Amino acid sequence: MTEPRPATRKPGAAPVFWASVLLFAALFALLTWRFSIGKDPSLSGATASRPVQVRKVIKRRVVTTIVPTPGANTVTSGPATSSSYSSGAITTGAS
Amino acid sequence: MSEHDLTFDAMGSHVRLLIGEPGPGMDPAAEAAEQGRQFIEDFDAALSRFKPDSELCALNDDPREHVPASELMRRAVEAGIGAAELSGGLVDPTLVGEIEQAGYVSSRAGMSGLPLAEALAEAPARRPAGPSPAARWRSLRVDDRAGEVVRPPGLRFDTGGTGKGLAADLLAARLRGYSRFIVDCGGDIRIGGADALVRPYEVFVEHPITGERAHVLRLGSGGVATSGLNVRIWRGEDGRYAHHLIDPASGEPAWTGLVGATALADTALEAETLSKAALLSGPERGRELLAERGGLLVHDSGRVELVGPLAVAPRVRLPQTSNREGAWR
Repeated sequence: MTEPRPATRKPGAAPVFWASVLLFAALFALLTWRFSIGKDPSLSGATASRPVQVRKVIKRRVVTTIVPTPGANTVTSGPATSSSYSSGAITTGAS
Repeated sequence: MSEHDLTFDAMGSHVRLLIGEPGPGMDPAAEAAEQGRQFIEDFDAALSRFKPDSELCALNDDPREHVPASELMRRAVEAGIGAAELSGGLVDPTLVGEIEQAGYVSSRAGMSGLPLAEALAEAPARRPAGPSPAARWRSLRVDDRAGEVVRPPGLRFDTGGTGKGLAADLLAARLRGYSRFIVDCGGDIRIGGADALVRPYEVFVEHPITGERAHVLRLGSGGVATSGLNVRIWRGEDGRYAHHLIDPASGEPAWTGLVGATALADTALEAETLSKAALLSGPERGRELLAERGGLLVHDSGRVELVGPLAVAPRVRLPQTSNREGAWR
């Protein structure tokens, strides 16, 4: 047979409620004060107080120059190799 | 991939249309080419100053300040004004009296010009052309809402400096959607189509003195045009050599040290304007005008000078069509 457990006295609901409210208010006030003086507790004290360093990041790039051409096409050109016109040739000249 | 090829005469020169595969729901290339021919012939009939029944002649003869005009005429006048603005007044569409005074009264289509070399030997001292101080072109205006061209009565307009380029561009707009196409209005050329970007067209540049191929360009889009003194040269009543490129400042044919200029641009109209402006400006300023988009200048001596991107563009060796070996510059 097991022995009956001694009866424990439970605290009342009201004291638990008010105790919780007070604890919350205290912690909230503490956090508000720390934020207001610039000491965010989520940041370590050392990081927050470290002076901001500006770094210049220099990226080295290889630039390929594309010769600008009409529209989006590529233009290649060269001296013509024949002096006789073929019937299908397209020619620009004074007209 | 096949292309329909149609050649015919219009606007005082040869016109050639090459049209590739149609997009979904578009007319076959042969039909589009015929419609293109009709468009060019209508353009020529409306805007030639050598056709007495043309709308252009009617406009120039109209005594009113506000003249009702077709949309085509309004676009032509707009193009003329745009060319004058782009060239700082060098390509002036109001020099009808001056060009007639120089002797260009009727069409010279099919007429062989006098030898350029002889004309150059007798030509006056070379100097760059300049804009007309009167700048009559500034009084031209297009009113699209009223459908009118507005200008002082008596001011005559000519499409000579911009007509072929404009025609090529307008027709090119109709051919959008074909896999590739080229509209060649007497050497003022517009190229388009996605396939042309992959397989560019070869366009030969004619040398104005030798008549041989001076250069070859491979172009996948945009416009190219050439202005030269070689085709229309005659002797005026005073016995002096004359040609059709008038110096607006003096009202006389321009002898600037250049006999030809070829320009590349986004459109044929822009290329035509740039090539004329470059030739009229002479070597120094001409070089500057062509520097951005590229082009060629042919000097009085016959020397061919590549300008801008063309001077540094990658070169290609073309398949040999004769036994003569070409030498790279």
